[in-house]
Amino acid sequence: MTTAVATRTAVAAQARQVTKAYGTGETRVVALDNVDVDIARGQFTAIMGPSGSGKSTLMHCLAGLDTVTSGRIWIDETEVTGLKDKKLTQLRRDRIGFIFQAFNLLPTLNAIENITLPMDIAGRKPDKQWLQRVVDTVGLADRLKHRPSQLSGGQQQRVAVARALAARPEIIFGDEPTGNLDSRAGAEVLGFLRRSVDELAQTIVMVTHDPVAASYADRVLYLADGRIVDEMRSPTAEQVLDRMKSFDARGRVA
Amino acid sequence: MTVFKTSMRNFFAHKGRMALSAIAVMLSVAFVCGTLVFSDTATSTFDRLFNSTSADVQVSPAGQNAEEQAEGDKPQRTLPAADLEKVAGIKGVKSVEGDVVDASVTVANSDNDNLGSTTGAPTIATNWDRAERKSVAIASGNAPRGPDQVMIDKDAADKHDVQLGDTIRTIAGPGSFTAKVVGIAEFKATNPGATVVYFDTATAQAKLLGKPDAYSTLMVTAEPGFTNELLKKNVAAELGGAGTYKVLTKAQVIEEGKNDVGGFLDVMKYAMLGFAGIAVLVGIFLIVNTFSMLVAQRTREIGLLRALGSSRKQINRSVLTEALLLGVTGSVLGVGAGIGIAIGLMKLMSSAGMNLSTADLTIKTTTPVIGVVLGVVVTVIAAYLPARRAAKVSPMAALRDAGTPGDRKAGAVRTVLGLLLIAGGAAGLWQASQADKAADGSMFLAGGVLLSLLGFIVFGPVLAGVVVRIISAGVLRVFGPVGRMAERNALRNPRRTGATASALMIGLALVACLSVVGSSMVASATDELDKSVGADFIVQSNMGKAIHPEAAQAMKDVPQLAHVSEVKILEADLKLPSGKKVGTDVNAASPTYADDLRVETVAGSLKAAYGTNAMSVDQNFAKKHGVKVGDSIEVSFKDGRTGTLKLAAITSSDVALDKGAKYLSVATAARYLPAAEMRTSEMITAKAKEGQADAAYAALKKDLKPYPQYEVRDQADYKQQLKDQVGQMLNLVNGLLALAIIVAVLGVVNTLALSVVERTREIGLMRAIGLSRRQLRRMIRLESVVIAIFGAVLGVGLGMAWGATAQQLLALEGLKVLDIPWPTIAWVFAGSALVGILAALFPAFRAGRMNVLNAIATE
Repeated sequence: MTTAVATRTAVAAQARQVTKAYGTGETRVVALDNVDVDIARGQFTAIMGPSGSGKSTLMHCLAGLDTVTSGRIWIDETEVTGLKDKKLTQLRRDRIGFIFQAFNLLPTLNAIENITLPMDIAGRKPDKQWLQRVVDTVGLADRLKHRPSQLSGGQQQRVAVARALAARPEIIFGDEPTGNLDSRAGAEVLGFLRRSVDELAQTIVMVTHDPVAASYADRVLYLADGRIVDEMRSPTAEQVLDRMKSFDARGRVA
Repeated sequence: MTVFKTSMRNFFAHKGRMALSAIAVMLSVAFVCGTLVFSDTATSTFDRLFNSTSADVQVSPAGQNAEEQAEGDKPQRTLPAADLEKVAGIKGVKSVEGDVVDASVTVANSDNDNLGSTTGAPTIATNWDRAERKSVAIASGNAPRGPDQVMIDKDAADKHDVQLGDTIRTIAGPGSFTAKVVGIAEFKATNPGATVVYFDTATAQAKLLGKPDAYSTLMVTAEPGFTNELLKKNVAAELGGAGTYKVLTKAQVIEEGKNDVGGFLDVMKYAMLGFAGIAVLVGIFLIVNTFSMLVAQRTREIGLLRALGSSRKQINRSVLTEALLLGVTGSVLGVGAGIGIAIGLMKLMSSAGMNLSTADLTIKTTTPVIGVVLGVVVTVIAAYLPARRAAKVSPMAALRDAGTPGDRKAGAVRTVLGLLLIAGGAAGLWQASQADKAADGSMFLAGGVLLSLLGFIVFGPVLAGVVVRIISAGVLRVFGPVGRMAERNALRNPRRTGATASALMIGLALVACLSVVGSSMVASATDELDKSVGADFIVQSNMGKAIHPEAAQAMKDVPQLAHVSEVKILEADLKLPSGKKVGTDVNAASPTYADDLRVETVAGSLKAAYGTNAMSVDQNFAKKHGVKVGDSIEVSFKDGRTGTLKLAAITSSDVALDKGAKYLSVATAARYLPAAEMRTSEMITAKAKEGQADAAYAALKKDLKPYPQYEVRDQADYKQQLKDQVGQMLNLVNGLLALAIIVAVLGVVNTLALSVVERTREIGLMRAIGLSRRQLRRMIRLESVVIAIFGAVLGVGLGMAWGATAQQLLALEGLKVLDIPWPTIAWVFAGSALVGILAALFPAFRAGRMNVLNAIATE
C-alpha cells in the first residue's frame, strides 16, 4: 500500500499482552503467555524457539491468520485483533506477504501467475517495473511460464519470495521458509530476503529453528513456553547456537 | 477379517464422503422398488375388483370385445331372456342373473358436465337388480325403481358433487334419457376410477340395450361340488350354438380384464423402470468418481499398507468391501424410500382420477430382494475400476510427497477408442437417417445412439480440455483471476470433470432428443394440417368414443355448415384379382370427406372412389399387392355381405393423416352391411358456409354442449391440442428424467465437495494470501457452472443429433419437418448453469468455513 510515508512509525507491527490458550480447565494449554513484542520497520526479525514454544502461533497471530485469547495486535496503525474476516482478508491481501515452509504455490498456476496472484485477487495492476526488479532479484526471469511441478524446491521458494515481495507489502511473514530446502538453496532464499531488507527496505518476520537461517536476521527473539525469554541483535550462527544450547541446558536443569 | 476391519474403519471414517453416493444408490433403488410396489398394488387392486365383480361362469354373446363395447360405435349384442331360463335349468347351476351392462355410455349432470373419468377409466351403466351384488353396497338413499330413478357410485358422486335428488342424463346407444339420483352405492373393493350408474333391470334393458327382455351377460353361480370349469363345460354344451356364445370361467374373466388394464399397467411399469435404469446408469458415474477420488486421496495410506506387506488382492478387496457396505446401506434405505415413493405415486394417481387405496399396498418379497441386489451389484461394479487402480498403487507412494495427484492427461487409448466409438455412432446415425425402411433405420438409430453415447462418455475427458477452455473464454474471463482459477481447477482432472459432466449429459441428451422429436411432431402435424385439411371443424371424443347418432344429427342441423362428413372404420377382408386375401380396415366416409381431408391421388380420382361400388387403396398397398385402377376387388364386410367393388383411385402414401386408408362411400358400405352392424363415426369433420365460420363454430359448440364427451375443434384448436398433447407427453417424460438429472447433479455436488477436501491446503494458502470467502465461493461456483455447462454442451449436442436422426427416420412415417426447439435448448443451458450454481452451494459453503491455519499447517 502506498500510505503516506509520514504517518509511518518505526514499528511495523506490535503485540501487547497477547495470550493464546487452547481448551479450558484441566486441558488448558497456553501457547502464548502475555507476550509483548515490537517489530521494527525495515528490519529482518527472526523468531526462534524449541518446538511447542509458541513461535509459529505468535507469527500466525501477528499476521492475522489466528485469533488471540486476549491482548491486542497492530499492524502499523491498524488494530488486527477484533477485525472481521472480511477486513482481515483485505489486510492480509493488501498489506502482508507470506512465505510458508511448503506448499506455497497453486499447482494450477504458473510462476508469474502465482507471483501476481495477490494483486490479481485484489484486482490491482502490478507495478511492471517493480515486478521486473523482483523477478530479476530472485533470478526467475527464464522460469516464469513454468508450473510449480516443473520447478525445483528452491525455485518454488524463490517464486514464493517473489510473490511476497511483488505486492510491496508492509510486512512479510515467513514460516520456516527454508525448512524444506537443502543448505545451498536455503542460503539463496535467505540471501534474497536479506537483500530485500537492505535494498528494498522490506520488513520481514521469520520463524525458524535453524541458527544459520536466524543469523541472516537483524534481530533474533527467543520464545520458550509462550514467553519471549531473550533477544539478540546482529547475531552470528555461532552466537545463536550457543544461546540455544544454554536454553537447552537451562531447560534440562529445570 | 483384517481387510474387513480396515474397510469398515475407512467406510465410517469417510461416511461424509460416501453420503452422496449412498443417496444416489438410494434414489435409484427407491425408484425401482417404488415402481414395483406401485404396479403390484395396482395389479392386485384390479385383481380384487375383477374377483368381486365376476361370477363363477359368465355367458355373453360371441364377437363382442371390450374395446368395441367401450367405443359404442355399434349396437351391443345381447342375449334373449330365453337363454336365461335355459341356463337356469342346466345341471350344476345354482342361480343365474342377467346383467345389463353398457360401458359406452356418457353420463352428464344438469350442467352438461361429464361425470365420467378423464383418465381412461370407463363409465358404466348397469342394472342394479342382480340379487347378489357382492361388490357394491348402498351407502345412502335406496335402490333405483322405475325409469326415472338412478343410483350412482360414491367415488363419482363425491368427485363431481352429485347429491341425492340431482338429475343426471345418460347418453346410451339407443338414445339419451334423464333420471333422478335416488341412491349412492359404494364399492367394497377399491374402485380404481370407473364411474358407474345403476338402473332397475327393465329400465336398463329398455334404455341401454333398446330391447326389453335382453341381457348383456349371464352371471352363473355354481352349485357346490361343481367346479367352474365343469360348469362352463355343461353350460357351453347345453347352450350349443358354437360361435353364438362366449362362455368364460371366473378365472378367464379375470384374466381377460387383467389383460385389458394390464397392458396399460405394464407399459407404465416398464417405462418407469426404464427411467430408473437411466438413473442407475448416472449413479454409476457418481460412484466411480467417489471411489476414484477416495483412492487418490488415500494413495499414501495405501502405499503404506503395501509397504507393510498388504497384497494387491487385499487392497482391491478392501475397496470393494467398502463399496459393498455402501451398496447395502444405500439400497436398504432405497427399499424403504421406494415404499414411500409408491404411496406418493398412488396419491398422485388418485388426484388424477385413478383411485388406489394404501390399504391395498402390495409388497412382494421379491421387491426388496431386487432392490438390494440391484443396489449392491451396481455399486460394486462401479467401484471395480477404482479398486483396481488402488491395487496398482506402489509401496513407493508412501514415501512420496503427499500433494494432490497431478493432472493426468487423457490417454491415447481413450482418445482413439472414444473417436472410434463416436465415428461408429455417427455412421449408425447417418445410416438411420438414410434408411428407407423404418425397421432397418431403427436398428441403426439404436446402435448409433448407443455407440455415440459410449463414445462421448469415453471421449468426454479429452473433450473437457477443449470445451472447458471455450466455455471459460466466453463465461469465466469476465470474472478475472477467480474465473481463471476455476477454469484451471475444472481442467486439472479431465477424467473427473468428464465423468461428472457425462452423468449430466445422459439425462440432458434425452431431454434434448425428445424435445426435438416432440417439436418436430408438432411442426409436421401443423404443416400437414395446413396442407391437407380442408375441414373447418373436427369433432371427436378424447376418450375414443364413437360419435353418437344424436350428436351427429345435432351437427347436421347446424344451419351455418356447408357439409358434415362422417368417417366409419369398418373391418373387411379384401379378395384381390390375384386371389390373395387381405384382412384390413376400410374407411367408409361421406364423399365430402375428400374436401375435408385432401389426399393426393396417383391414379384415378377420389371422387370416383366415392361412387357406388367403388373404392380406393393407397399407393403402398397397390404396389405391394399389384393392383391397379379398374381392378375388381371382392370386399367381405365383417358381419355383413360380400360385394365386388371397383378400384377407382390410388392415393398417395406420402401422407401423415389417414396413412394407408382405403376409402369408399358410406352408401356403398350400407349396401352390404345391415343397419344394425353399421358403425357410427369415429370422427366427424365439417365445413362452414362461406363467411360463416365464426357463427358455425359458436353454433356447433352450443349444439354439442349436451354431449360433453365430444370436443369441437377448429383448426387452431386442433393444432393447439396437438401441441398440448405433445407438451404433456414431454413434461411427463422430462419429469421422469428429472430423477436421472437429480442424480447427476448430486454427482456434481459430490465431485466438488470431494475436490474441496482434496484441495484443503490450496484453499488455505489462497485464503492466507488474501482470497476473500466470497471470492473463494465464487471460484467453486464457477467451476461447478463450467462442469454443468460442459455436460449440457455434450448432452444437447448429442441429443440434437439423436433427435434430428430420429426425425429423418420418422419422415417415413410422416414426421417431415425438423423443428429444433431453440427456446427449450436455451432453457436447458440456462437451467444447467443454475444447476451448477445450486450444486456448488454446499461445497462452497464448506470451503468458506475451512480453517485457514489447519489448511496451511505443516504436518
